[in-house]
Amino acid sequence: MFSKPILKQTFKSSYKLWVIFTAILCVISAVVISVFDPKMISGMMKMLEGTPMAEMAGDRLSSMTSLLGMLSQQFYGMLAAILPMIYIIITANNLIASQVDRGSMAYLLSTPTKRSTVVRTQASFLIGSVFAMFLVVTIVGLGTVQLMHHALWGEGYTPDVVAAAKVLDVDKADLTDDLSLILDNEEALATGADAREIETDVYTMYLTLKMADDTGELPQFSEQAGQVGDMQNQIISGITAAADVLGVAPADLMSDMGKIKANSAALAAAAETSGLPEPLLVMMINSQLASDELALDAGIEFSVKDYLMLNLGAFLLMFAISAISFLFSCIFNLSKNSLALGAGIPIAFFVFQIMAQIGDSLSGFKYLSLNTLFDTNAIVNGGSYAVQFVVLAVIGVVLYVVGMNRFQQKDLPL
Amino acid sequence: MSVLQVDHLTKDYGSGRGVFDVTFNVEKGEVFGFLGPNGAGKTTTIRHIMGFSRPQEGVTYVEGMNSWLEPAKIQRNLGYLPGEIALPEALTGTQFIKMMADLRGLKDMTRTNALIDRFELEPAGGLKRMSLGMKRKLAIVTAFMHDPQVLVLDEPTSGLDPLMQDMFIEFIKEEKARGKTILLSSHIFSEVDATCDRISIIKEGHLMSTFVANELRHSTSKTFKLEFNSKEEFERFRAEAEATKRLKILSVKRHRNQAKVQVEDADVNDFIAVISGYSLKFFSEIKFTLEDYFMKFYDRGGAAYAVN
Repeated sequence: MFSKPILKQTFKSSYKLWVIFTAILCVISAVVISVFDPKMISGMMKMLEGTPMAEMAGDRLSSMTSLLGMLSQQFYGMLAAILPMIYIIITANNLIASQVDRGSMAYLLSTPTKRSTVVRTQASFLIGSVFAMFLVVTIVGLGTVQLMHHALWGEGYTPDVVAAAKVLDVDKADLTDDLSLILDNEEALATGADAREIETDVYTMYLTLKMADDTGELPQFSEQAGQVGDMQNQIISGITAAADVLGVAPADLMSDMGKIKANSAALAAAAETSGLPEPLLVMMINSQLASDELALDAGIEFSVKDYLMLNLGAFLLMFAISAISFLFSCIFNLSKNSLALGAGIPIAFFVFQIMAQIGDSLSGFKYLSLNTLFDTNAIVNGGSYAVQFVVLAVIGVVLYVVGMNRFQQKDLPL
Repeated sequence: MSVLQVDHLTKDYGSGRGVFDVTFNVEKGEVFGFLGPNGAGKTTTIRHIMGFSRPQEGVTYVEGMNSWLEPAKIQRNLGYLPGEIALPEALTGTQFIKMMADLRGLKDMTRTNALIDRFELEPAGGLKRMSLGMKRKLAIVTAFMHDPQVLVLDEPTSGLDPLMQDMFIEFIKEEKARGKTILLSSHIFSEVDATCDRISIIKEGHLMSTFVANELRHSTSKTFKLEFNSKEEFERFRAEAEATKRLKILSVKRHRNQAKVQVEDADVNDFIAVISGYSLKFFSEIKFTLEDYFMKFYDRGGAAYAVN
């Protein structure tokens, strides 16, 4: 089946490249996960809202507020597609075509080793090394998620729950199940608000919303859409007035409404212009800040299954890509020809996918790219992706089989 | 049954390149020389014997096994020395020897180590930095390490220094004495002349001639060159040679008073008796070499086809 001596030689000549690319992927993956800060990201989102950049980014922007969403965009959509591809292109060519071109294949075949054994061993190495690459990246990724966000084991306790549990002397898990314990204890409330770095009023509102959210009873404002619409207009006029007083742009103020509360003159101006009483305005601001906090909690929610599927999908895409490069490595006797197609086609796929994402007018390019079958949005946002995975796997298997057969049948210029 | 059989092998690479209807056999214990310049089709023929290429027509056998159908089987008892030395660069010489031994399932390294000593190989360094001669020696060791009965050697001494070349020729003679069957492709006359029992000359993909080397070496006639001291002597000799018919004048150089004469070994005493009566500047034997024979085919160009 396999030749151990050939595997050994292949390993010796390829492991450096593998180590370099795997290390780069791991470091980048770990950095992207570590620096993820839902507060900062959602702040950035707000800043971008309404700007041309947000339009360009489209719905990708909204998916970036969660850790997996950002990972899928920043890492799996780009780096995890291009870096392993470079490794694959170089290695696939080295495994067969380059050895035929240089003539060193003659030594392997001047021993009682069948061509089928040679090509099977080389194909196995390529597939195995790509799999190992993603396995390592996955393990490092999970480790980083646990280390930086505690999102895997022991639930992702928010800092206020941790602080309040200490004050109340109860178990963190019990407290998460019954947040009213915090509401009932003033000291716990103050400590929790401190831990979250928000006011006690806002924190109270947040806890109420959170409990309602947990039981699925979050108030649906849309039921009174007309009323809310009127009120929104009033609020916006109020915010504009407050912005004048504070000397900042209304858009900036909208993303940080706490400032209105902090400045009594601004609050008065807002109340006057909007026609809403000050206490109501404060409550509405508090409510807005509280739902911001709620959104932050969602940010570090992390589905291990989705994360594994992202990695599986990336591996399957690279499996199919490696089959393309390997096929041409088997077909051609010259490295330059093997590389022309074995590198050219995967790179073209990658470029087409990028082009398809840039704008609607170019979206047709997605039909020309294998990379489209690895749909990170579908994986993260609960879409369907099983069929695409199967298609990638089938393409890979078929191309590997064709390549191996071709190598066994062709004339070798050795 | 012949150990190596090349039977009406044809492979046309287009524009006159390739091999065309090549047939020859190498018997057990024989060293067979395969002589031709670069691009004549030596390596193409060997590629087919090794099973690297599929013949368009014809077939090649090694120990009765079809090269294309059972390439892995024939390699068990075959040693191959490629014409171009392209070793896997990531390895050191020692690692390469180990890999080849593993691929051959070779456990006993006694012979391998003896070969390393004999060829003064220093295998420790990386293959990338090895000199061509050292790489060639490494290839020789790995071709002979498993003591195969059949050897296919493609220009084995190119890149070796003259001392090593002589040693390699000695080594081939020893292997032959041990009953090995050897196909030796070369464009170097001296090594073919020194080792081969039979020789084939290939030109532009066609086999021109296959002959027994000893017949060439031990020809029953000799050729001598004579230079006379005067024009008169020269003309007198020509006249006498014409008359006796025993001395065959092959060619003359009038302005230098030289003549080339072919003499049967049986007539050599008569020849000496005849020339003792002339005033000679010198006389010397012109050795007929493989090179002369080889050149006949290449000098005459297209006409040489008729010889076969």
